[in-house]
Amino acid sequence: MYALTCKNLSLSYPNEPHPAVKDVSFAVFEGEFVTFIGPSGCGKTSILKMIAGLEKPTSGELSAPPDISFVFQFGALFPWLTVFENTALGLRSKRIPEAEIQKIVSRELSLMHIEHFRDRYPAELSGGQKQRVGIARALAVEPKMLLLDEPFSALDPITTAELHRDLMQLWHEKKITIVMVSHSIEEAVGLADRVILMNTGVIKRVFPVNLPHPRHEQGAAFMHEVNQVRHAFFTEI
Amino acid sequence: MRYNDRMRTGKHHAHHNHHVAMSYPVSLPSRLYALVLGPLAMVGLIALATYFYPIISTQGTTLTFPVIVEAAMATCFRLAVAYILAALVAIPLSLFVTINSTIEAIFLPIFDVLESVPILVLFPVLVVLFVSTGFLNGAAIAILFLTMLWSIVFTLVGGIKIIPKDIMYAGKIFGLSGFALVRKVILPAIVPQFVTGSILALAQGWNIIIVAEVLHTYLPGGTSAQDLFGIGAILVSASAEAQTNVFLMAVFVMVVIIAFFNFFVWQKLLHFAQRFRFE
Repeated sequence: MYALTCKNLSLSYPNEPHPAVKDVSFAVFEGEFVTFIGPSGCGKTSILKMIAGLEKPTSGELSAPPDISFVFQFGALFPWLTVFENTALGLRSKRIPEAEIQKIVSRELSLMHIEHFRDRYPAELSGGQKQRVGIARALAVEPKMLLLDEPFSALDPITTAELHRDLMQLWHEKKITIVMVSHSIEEAVGLADRVILMNTGVIKRVFPVNLPHPRHEQGAAFMHEVNQVRHAFFTEI
Repeated sequence: MRYNDRMRTGKHHAHHNHHVAMSYPVSLPSRLYALVLGPLAMVGLIALATYFYPIISTQGTTLTFPVIVEAAMATCFRLAVAYILAALVAIPLSLFVTINSTIEAIFLPIFDVLESVPILVLFPVLVVLFVSTGFLNGAAIAILFLTMLWSIVFTLVGGIKIIPKDIMYAGKIFGLSGFALVRKVILPAIVPQFVTGSILALAQGWNIIIVAEVLHTYLPGGTSAQDLFGIGAILVSASAEAQTNVFLMAVFVMVVIIAFFNFFVWQKLLHFAQRFRFE
């Protein structure tokens, strides 16, 4: 069963000579983890924005579930709200009773190991902690699909590895569909069921990854997959 | 002996603490305080002297220290009314002009032109208009309002334009739209600009007060009896009548009020506004 289908999707921005996305078609299964990779400006974030409803496709068809949540590149936390209030943002918009909000937010903050930061402001957090709040905020609304826009690109390798592990755990527990955008081939191969390589607004190649998790422990098999994608990245782009 | 040398030689004992403090190099802020507070204290002394030797002005008003403070309060009231009105108009105006790029392209240049019109050009018209209705304070408040309005509008427009796109997207993703998006995202996001815009606006207000209260200059055959009771009018008449001590006392009261608001209101608000700033 598909969670998301895109048919001949195109997006042009005003005053831009070339379309950001050109005639792209793909589908994502329920519970699947798909990662888009490609160079800057290749259209991968534009696809994410169209799925989220933040940008309207210029042409094509898009069918996505209504309950979509988003994790932004630098967290996009509201600096004037505490960790708790940032996480509760989507729940408050849904007018969920306060007692329920308290319960859900506490649960999500615990899952992301940041319960003890609940009264802090984003300026008092490290990059990794901010991103954990961003993920907790996205998961608090209990989405069917989670979109992640280069969520780990600004973090150090150790924090990134910790967040990869936590994200994998959440994905297995919550069984949600994940579409992520990444710059890192290793990250894409390490996490996703399928890696979609993009350039100049079109899909160039699709790589299914059939290795068991945790993949970094797969040694040679993992590196073989990474090298395959890397080879395509440098020959086709 | 320098402080660091004392630390090294172990001569830093509790009972020597005041000597140690004396040997600190004078920091720049301390020098600035000395530069500001020194002359202010001197002006204050002259002002106090005037308190004991009141001046009879040409209109027969006895200008004592309490009268000048009262005048300053009247001026503050005018500034406050003009500021509140300017803020109430500036917020929706800046939200409106940034709704989309078409509205911005049409209205922002108009605002630019309106802002560039020297405010005093409008003053004679405003004075005549308000004098005909008998509402003299209205003329001063209107001119202060127009002076303050554009400062706040343009700082707010700048603030709205630098809200990160992802913050707006996050608002939309998590269910905010329309007025809720304005209330929960845009308005908090422009708090720092609102504070700096307000400081600029009030500074411009104080700047123009010496004109705004002296209405008679703009009325045919006007006399100083038509001026408003306020510190601006006192400054102008004291200067014209060479009453130096009244002038100094008025300056002293004005500086104290401005410094009070700066230290106890605006500095605090600037600090508070840091929480609303994007990294």
